[in-house]
Amino acid sequence: MQFPEIFDVIVVGGGHAGTEAALASARMGRKTLLLTHNIETLGQMSCNPSIGGIGKGHLVKEVDALGGAMATATDEGGIQFRILNSSKGPAVRATRAQADRILYKAAIRWRLENQPNLWLFQQAVDDVIIEGDRIAGVITQIGLRFKAKAVVLTAGTFLNGLVHVGLENYRAGRAGDPPAISLAARLRELSLPAGRLKTGTPPRIDGRTIDYSVLEEQPGDDPVPVFSFLGSPEQHPQQLPCWIAHTNERTHEIIRSGLDRSPMYTGVIEGVGPRYCPSVEDKIMRFAGKESHQVFLEPEGLATNEIYPNGISTSLPFDVQINLVRSIRGLENAHILRPGYAIEYDYYDPRGLKNSFETKAIQGLFFGGQINGTTGYEEAAAQGLLAGINAALYAWDEPAWCPSRDQAYIGVLVDDLITRGVSEPYRMFTSRAEYRLMLREDNADIRLTEVGRKIGVVDDVRWEAFSRKQEAIARETERLKRTFVYPAMLDETIATAVLGKQIEREYPLFELLRRPEVSYEALLSLTGDEGESDPQVRQQLEISAKYQGYIDRQQDEIQRSRYYESLEIPEDLDYRDVKGLSIEAQQKLNVYKPQTLGQAGRVSGITPAAVSLLLVYLKKKYKAKNTKDLGDAA
Amino acid sequence: MIRVSGRAAPDIAVTILGRCPSPRHATYIDFLDTDGSTIDRGIAIYFPAPHSYTGENILELQGHGGTAVLQRLLQRCLALGAKLAEPGEFTKRAYLNDKLDLAQAEAVADLIDASTDLAARSAMRSLSGEFSSHVHALRERLINLRMYVEACLDFPEEDIDFITEGGVIDKLESIRNELSLLSTTAKQGSILREGIQVVLIGQPNVGKSSLMNQLAGQDIAIVTAIAGTTRDTIRSEIQLEGVPIHVIDTAGLRETVDEVEIFGIQRTWRAAETAHIALILVDATHGITENEKSILARLSGVPQQIWIHNKIDLVNSSPEIREVDGKTHIFLSAKTGHGISLLKQHLLELAGWRAGTEGVFMARQRHLKALDGVSQSIENAKKNLNQAELLAEDLRLAQESLNEITGEFTSDDLLGEIFGRFCIGK
Repeated sequence: MQFPEIFDVIVVGGGHAGTEAALASARMGRKTLLLTHNIETLGQMSCNPSIGGIGKGHLVKEVDALGGAMATATDEGGIQFRILNSSKGPAVRATRAQADRILYKAAIRWRLENQPNLWLFQQAVDDVIIEGDRIAGVITQIGLRFKAKAVVLTAGTFLNGLVHVGLENYRAGRAGDPPAISLAARLRELSLPAGRLKTGTPPRIDGRTIDYSVLEEQPGDDPVPVFSFLGSPEQHPQQLPCWIAHTNERTHEIIRSGLDRSPMYTGVIEGVGPRYCPSVEDKIMRFAGKESHQVFLEPEGLATNEIYPNGISTSLPFDVQINLVRSIRGLENAHILRPGYAIEYDYYDPRGLKNSFETKAIQGLFFGGQINGTTGYEEAAAQGLLAGINAALYAWDEPAWCPSRDQAYIGVLVDDLITRGVSEPYRMFTSRAEYRLMLREDNADIRLTEVGRKIGVVDDVRWEAFSRKQEAIARETERLKRTFVYPAMLDETIATAVLGKQIEREYPLFELLRRPEVSYEALLSLTGDEGESDPQVRQQLEISAKYQGYIDRQQDEIQRSRYYESLEIPEDLDYRDVKGLSIEAQQKLNVYKPQTLGQAGRVSGITPAAVSLLLVYLKKKYKAKNTKDLGDAA
Repeated sequence: MIRVSGRAAPDIAVTILGRCPSPRHATYIDFLDTDGSTIDRGIAIYFPAPHSYTGENILELQGHGGTAVLQRLLQRCLALGAKLAEPGEFTKRAYLNDKLDLAQAEAVADLIDASTDLAARSAMRSLSGEFSSHVHALRERLINLRMYVEACLDFPEEDIDFITEGGVIDKLESIRNELSLLSTTAKQGSILREGIQVVLIGQPNVGKSSLMNQLAGQDIAIVTAIAGTTRDTIRSEIQLEGVPIHVIDTAGLRETVDEVEIFGIQRTWRAAETAHIALILVDATHGITENEKSILARLSGVPQQIWIHNKIDLVNSSPEIREVDGKTHIFLSAKTGHGISLLKQHLLELAGWRAGTEGVFMARQRHLKALDGVSQSIENAKKNLNQAELLAEDLRLAQESLNEITGEFTSDDLLGEIFGRFCIGK
C-alpha cells in the first residue's frame, strides 16, 4: 500500500544519528518521517552508558550549538559529570557524563514526540524506491510504500548484523534486536562500495554482587558541569560515582587460555575492530608486557543495579567471561546479567559520499552514523544532524552545507571520512583537528549557532540566549580594551597579589588579562569593577585574551590553505585526461571524485605531485579551454 | 644532445631511427629526415618509463654537434609532435612523477648554478637525498615526540603518564641539538652558494685597492700614490677554498669638494651598509687616528668589523692577528702579500666555514628559513612544557615547517618559483 502522506525527508533508524537527523529536518520545517523497527528503542544507548569525552564532548557541544538534542538529553539523564583534561588547556578540555539509559531514552523520546513536523512510525524498512539515479522513498517489511524527496539512512550496526559470543554466532542488529537483512541485500545490489567492521561490548554485571569496599571510587566533579549551552545543574537527576577495578595476571591467564575459542583469534570474525577501543583479549595480546588494565565500573542508571564494566569488551565464550570477570578484585562473586559480545556489520565506504553526506551514486539518498564506518554515539549524532540538515536542504532544492575543518569537529569528521575513508571504525580525537586551539567546547556556539540560525535549526530561545551572550562579550571586551589602569591608581598590595608586582606604566585592562597568571576575577579586583557575571562570558573573555597569539597564527594558516580548499573540481572531470597522473591516482580520483582540490590532496595515495599536476590542469582548463596538454618535451 | 621525454618518445624513435633502440643500450644509428635522408649518424639511447630521470619514456639522441645539424634534428622532433621544454621542465616532470622530492629537485638547480667545484660536489650530495634523509630523520623524531604529547591530550583516562614515559623533555632537548647541527651544516651550504660580502673601507691612500688586488690575485683596481684615485665602488668575486667572497673596494673617505668623489663616498657608505664584513684599513705607520675611529662608529650596522693595519713592510714588523677590546686587528702588507693568508683564514672563519666539514649540502634560503621556523617552534615548545595543548601546537608547527623542506604539501607559488629557476639541458 502507498502511505497517504508524502514527505520531504524520511529518516530510517532511530538511534543517535537517526533522531538528530529527524529532529533537525523537522526543525527546519520539512515534513519529516522517522521510521524505526521499534519505537521503544528510540535513543537507545547500545554500548556504554556515557556521553562525551575527549573530542566526543566537542562534537556534542557542536550538535548542541546547532540545536541538537544530545547535550540537553544528557543534562536531563546524566548521573555523573566530569571535565577531562581540565589542567591541560581550554582546547582539549572535554565534558564527559554517565547517563541513566532510561532517563536518556525518555528525554530523546519526549523531544521526538513533541517536535512539530515530525511523524514517527514503527516498521522495519526492507527496500528503497529508486527512480533513475534518484531516491523516491522506501518500502517497509509489510509492503508499505513511503514516498519522499530525500531519504536519510542511519542503520547503525543493523545491516547484516552478526553477533558473536565465542564460536557461537547469530544474526542480530544488536543483542535483543533483529538485523536488517533485506535492506542490506538491497543496498548491496546498488553496488555502493561496502565493507565489514566489528565492534564489541562487555558483559554487564549485577551491582548487588560487587564488593565496592575494595574498589577505588571515582566521583563526579564539584561543581557539577553541564553539557548544553542552555543547560543548568538543576536539570540533573541524582548523581552517582563510578568505580575503578583492575585486571590482574590471573585475568590475563584466563583470557589466554580461552583464545582458541575466540572468534577474533580463530578468524571467524572478518570485520576490523577499532584499535583504540580494543577488546580485552586484544589488550592482553598486543600489550603482553602490561600487568594490569583499568576497568571502569559505570552505573547504568538510578533505577537499576546493572553495572557496565568499561574496559573488558569481549567476544570470548561465556564460560571464559565468567571466569575473567570473577578473577578481578571486587568482582569475585559477580553475577553477569548479559554476556559480552562482538558484532559485525556492513558499512559503506564514506568516500562514496559528498560532504553533505549525500551518496554520490544516488541523488537524495543520505547516509549518517555508523553506516559510514564510524563508532560512538557522538560521532553518530553529529553525522545524523548534518545528514538531516542536508536532506532537508536538498528536499527544498537549497544548496548543501558543511562546516569546514577550521570551523568545527563536524567538519573534520566529514572531511576525514569522505577523503580518506576508514580502515577501522572511526572515532574522533582532538589530534585529528589541525586547528584544535580554535575548535573548543567553550566556543562551539560562537562557531556554529549563527549559521545554524540561518539554516533554520536554531530556535528562538537558543538564539536569544546566544545573542545576549555575544553582546555581553563584545561589550566587556570593548570596555577592557578602553579602560586603562595607572600605577598611581593601583593599591600596591592588590597589584602584587594579582600581577606579581606593581605596574610601572599605564595598561589597558585587556593587556593585563593576556598575562597567563591573571584571571578575569582577579582583574576585576584591581579596579573594583563588577564586570560580567555569566561564567560563559567570563570564560570567553579570558580565553580570547590569553590565546590571541596562537589563534592569529592558526588564522594565517587557514588563510594560506583557503585557495586549495575553495578550488572546486568539476564533477564531470575525467581524471584520465590529466596527463602525468599515475594510473592509480587516476582510478582513485575517478572513483571518489573529490569536490575540491583540498579534498583531493587528502585522498590517501594522492601525492603532492599529483595535486600540483591537478592544479596545473585545472588552471589551464579554466584559463584557456583550448590549450593543449603538456605533450612531449624536447 | 637532444632529449625527448614523454609518452610518444618511442614513436618518435621509430620514425627517426627506423626502430626503437633496445632499452638502456647505446645504439650507433642513423638519424633520418622526412625524406629518408640521413641528418646525422650518432648514438641513440632509449630509457622506457618509469626507469628514467623524468619517470617518463626518454629518448636521447647524441649527434656530432654543429649547430645546423642539431637544429635540423630538433626541428624534426618538433614536427613529430614534441615541444620545446620550458626551463626546469625535465626536473619538474621528474618531481611530478615522484622521481625527485622537492629538496632533491632544488639540488638540481644548485647543480646548474654551482659556481665552484666544491659547491657542485655539495649539490650532488644533496641530490642523492642526504639533506632529505637528515630532514626525514628529524621528522621521525618529531613525530615520535608528538605521539606522546598527543596521547597525553587525547587519552587522559589511561593510567600512563605519557609526558614522563615518553621522556618528552629529553626528546625535545635532543631534537634541539640535532636541529642546531642540521642548521649549521645547512648554513655551510648556503655560504657556498651565496658567498659573503666584504667591503674595504678607510681613508684615502691607505691601500684598499692594493688589498683588493692582492685578494683577487690580479689587478682590478688602479693603484697610485694619489689620494682619491678610486672614485667609485669596484666589485670582484674571489674564491677562498671554494667559498665565493664578494669584495667591494670603495672610495677613500675624506672631506672633498670634488663632486665625483662625493658621489663615490656616498656609495661607499651604502656598500658598507649591506656588507657582512667590513675591513677598516689604517696605515700602520700612523696607527688608528680619530678619523678612523669615527668611521668605525658609523659602521655599527655591519655584523663584523676588522681593523687592517696595512703597510707593515714600511715599519719593519711581521704579520700578526690579535684581539684588542673584542676587535680583531690584522697586521699585513698588501704590497708584499705578507699576512694576506692570515686575513683569508680569518674571513673563512667569520663566514662560518670550517674546512673539511663533511656532509655539507646545498641549502636554499627557503631551507634555512624553514629550519629556523622549526627551531623557533621548538624553543616555544620548551616554554610551554606546562601547557600541554600549546606544547602540542608548537610541535605541530615545527612539523609543518619541516614539511616545507621536503615539499609534502606545498603551495602553488612555491612550485612556480622553484621550477622557474631551471633551464634547458641541465
